[in-house]
Amino acid sequence: MAEEQKKQERKKRRTATEAASSIGPMVKEFITGTIRAKAEGKKLAYTFIVCCYDEILGAMDVVPVWTENFAGVCGAKRDAERFLERAESQSFSRSLCTYALCGLGFDQWREELGEMPPDAPWGGQARPDFMLSSGQILCDPRNKWYQAAQQYMPDVPIYDVGLPYPLYEDDIEVADVQDYYIKYIVAELRGLVKFLEEQTGKKMDYDRLGELVDLGERTWNLIWETYDLRRAVPTPMGTGDAMNTMVPMVFMMGTQEAYDFFVKLNKELKDKIAKKEGVVEDEKYRLLWGGGLPSWFALTDFNYFNSKGAVFPVETTYRMIEPIYRLNMPDTNDPIERLAWRWLGYWTYWYDKAKKRPGSEPDVERLIQYIEDYQIDGVVMHEAFSCRTWHLGLIWQLNQLRKIYKPIPVLILGKDGKKREEKRELPSLILESDIIDISTYSEVDTRNRIDAFIETLEQVRKNKADLR
Amino acid sequence: MNEQNSTVMSKVERYYEDYGIRARELKKEGKTVIAYLCSLVPTEIITAAGLVPFRIRGNVNEPITKGDTNLETIACPFIRSCFDLSVKGWYDFCDSIVIPHGCDSMTRTYSTWRYTLGLPYSHFINVPHTVSGPSMEFFTQELNTFTKSLGRFAHKEIADSDLTEAIHLYNENRDKAKALYDLRKSDPPLISGTEMSKILTVGMSLPVTEANELFAEVLEELTQRKEAPIHKAPRIMVDGACIDNINFVKLIEDSGANVVVDSLCIGTRDYLPHTDVGGDPLDALARRYLDKINCPRTYREKVEGTYEKDLAARFGDIGSLGKEFKVDGVILYVYKYCDPFGFEVPARKAYLDSLNMPVLYLEDEYSAGTIGRLRTRIQAFLEVIE
Repeated sequence: MAEEQKKQERKKRRTATEAASSIGPMVKEFITGTIRAKAEGKKLAYTFIVCCYDEILGAMDVVPVWTENFAGVCGAKRDAERFLERAESQSFSRSLCTYALCGLGFDQWREELGEMPPDAPWGGQARPDFMLSSGQILCDPRNKWYQAAQQYMPDVPIYDVGLPYPLYEDDIEVADVQDYYIKYIVAELRGLVKFLEEQTGKKMDYDRLGELVDLGERTWNLIWETYDLRRAVPTPMGTGDAMNTMVPMVFMMGTQEAYDFFVKLNKELKDKIAKKEGVVEDEKYRLLWGGGLPSWFALTDFNYFNSKGAVFPVETTYRMIEPIYRLNMPDTNDPIERLAWRWLGYWTYWYDKAKKRPGSEPDVERLIQYIEDYQIDGVVMHEAFSCRTWHLGLIWQLNQLRKIYKPIPVLILGKDGKKREEKRELPSLILESDIIDISTYSEVDTRNRIDAFIETLEQVRKNKADLR
Repeated sequence: MNEQNSTVMSKVERYYEDYGIRARELKKEGKTVIAYLCSLVPTEIITAAGLVPFRIRGNVNEPITKGDTNLETIACPFIRSCFDLSVKGWYDFCDSIVIPHGCDSMTRTYSTWRYTLGLPYSHFINVPHTVSGPSMEFFTQELNTFTKSLGRFAHKEIADSDLTEAIHLYNENRDKAKALYDLRKSDPPLISGTEMSKILTVGMSLPVTEANELFAEVLEELTQRKEAPIHKAPRIMVDGACIDNINFVKLIEDSGANVVVDSLCIGTRDYLPHTDVGGDPLDALARRYLDKINCPRTYREKVEGTYEKDLAARFGDIGSLGKEFKVDGVILYVYKYCDPFGFEVPARKAYLDSLNMPVLYLEDEYSAGTIGRLRTRIQAFLEVIE
């Protein structure tokens, strides 16, 4: 079974940017690097992306093992099934997060053998010295996965980092609650530092941490500026590439390599814009990837969209940064406090905008802003069956958008003060599959749905042209 | 005295079958009804505000239709059912919705609930994931935010004395629930699992003073029972998340067993832990809802020592109940797409195995349509433990 699936490993996806094409070897180096680091006696931590504390790990010389990433790699290589089946045999339901199931299946097998399972993707996932669970307000599996893994690794300790942020409420301002949120997050991060000091036998160098946080903040600003270049028509980079360039963003924050990567990407995009070189030669439809993690085993679907003249200049998925200078962070030299404010600022970034449109909501405001800024013609989302974290609320968000982008002509007040009639209809498509469980995916069905969606986009384009 | 001849059990039956009937009547009388999901909402605060808390239920017999137009089918099927009924207007007497950070299926759909139902008031309670000094302090502040917000909606400043009074009322309710549980210790039990499920479910739909009166009436009547309503049979514990209907327990009892105790949300998980009295009421509520309610969504730091010791610390309450109620077997019942419980299944099974308690794990979809499949599994399990 596993052999058959490995044979199905697909030819490499086409990327629009050179920067994106350099990511594959980078990820491979990450994974093989953790195995080397283990052999060298360095401390390894299982951990999750978008964790808030990347720089803390860096400052403590702890080697992160990004367990979601390894599961994603298994998915992309179409070699996750044997690990999913292992987890199922341990009484974990297939309806749970398949990243976690893949990781648990792998861990159980590795611990049973006392060595890596046969033909482990890219050498396999190294055994950790400790695990950092993430008690965020989102993602139950991040809170349960490592606790479940302790069944196979009872000697590996866990630190669960509580990282809440307030949900959007009509009657409550972030300013009303932020003090106690920050206080708690800071306490949790200081607890993490203490835990890491105990585990590594090293003391935290706060000057070094401050430098890494500085670097991380500069990287946030640079990424925002770089991604904003994708507004250009034709767009020089699509979401398919962004699913690669997320690697230095969410796996390498606070490193010089990540900063340098985005310097390079920034230059490449500017060069492409100057030459009017787009993702596709004839850009017909500009789409927003409006939610959902991608099917890692089917990233060539982005190429299929491209083959129809459709590009994705923007996405909400893995755009885990906002410009630091807009986050209203107070002046503080304490790097732990800066991390806490950055965390809270990111998750509440769109709240003020939602307040200005009664009945709106931050996630919807973000979609509206991207639709306007990036001249979007349609929205595509992906519903991965095994992940509630990122895939609940998407239908409702689309329904909210339909209230604004109606299929009937509406009067718009132009900058010249004159009213004009416009059709603002915005077709949408929800693809259904999973992040790594390929058994849920049908390429034929998916592409038929994409074809039908493209036809709708074309019809809407004609209708808009007729009105003009 | 059997259920047909019992006035009080007829009342329970009526409240169960026409769930929300009292809240609807109270609404007509001008009261404000606050709907909520999950055992992690401190109903004491709602009661202290002079409002009527009402726990939303799903319905396994009602196909999910309208709800699916706004909520993905990958959500917990129990939450989907609750949402579907709400959208269809079953709970149109409610003035608000309060949702805690129980699980992703609640948290990530909060916006969907609040905007789709369009209620005058909504609130989300951010329950931390860890039990520690900082998390307890944070949660107390979060409950303070809820108290103030609800007070603004109710046009009432909620005083500590209001909270303390409500805490006493709910502790009284838990004492009565405990007394009902005690009736199940005899063999055969003086109350069936099906009857108990009805009573406990109904209790969540009533103002606490009325629930206390009802429980007192039930207790008075049941303690006079000369004869158990059921025969001796294998004694079963049901472990899992939220079962808000009698169907599953009745299925087990119809298959030839007695359900004598549970570790469920509408059960011992919520009904047994008391709130401390004598100190700051919000501190005490934070302790109860974060620490005392033993839900897998809350992470408890691993105790030093072996993995087996850690399991005992995490699930010791289940083991104690099993011994106290002399159970012959445990049925672990988990809904599909339930990450908090789903990731604990092997650990829970390992713990029960360590106690030599036979365990049957069932994953279900919150639908009456699965009864046939479940019956076969349960009958086979009962044959093994008999």
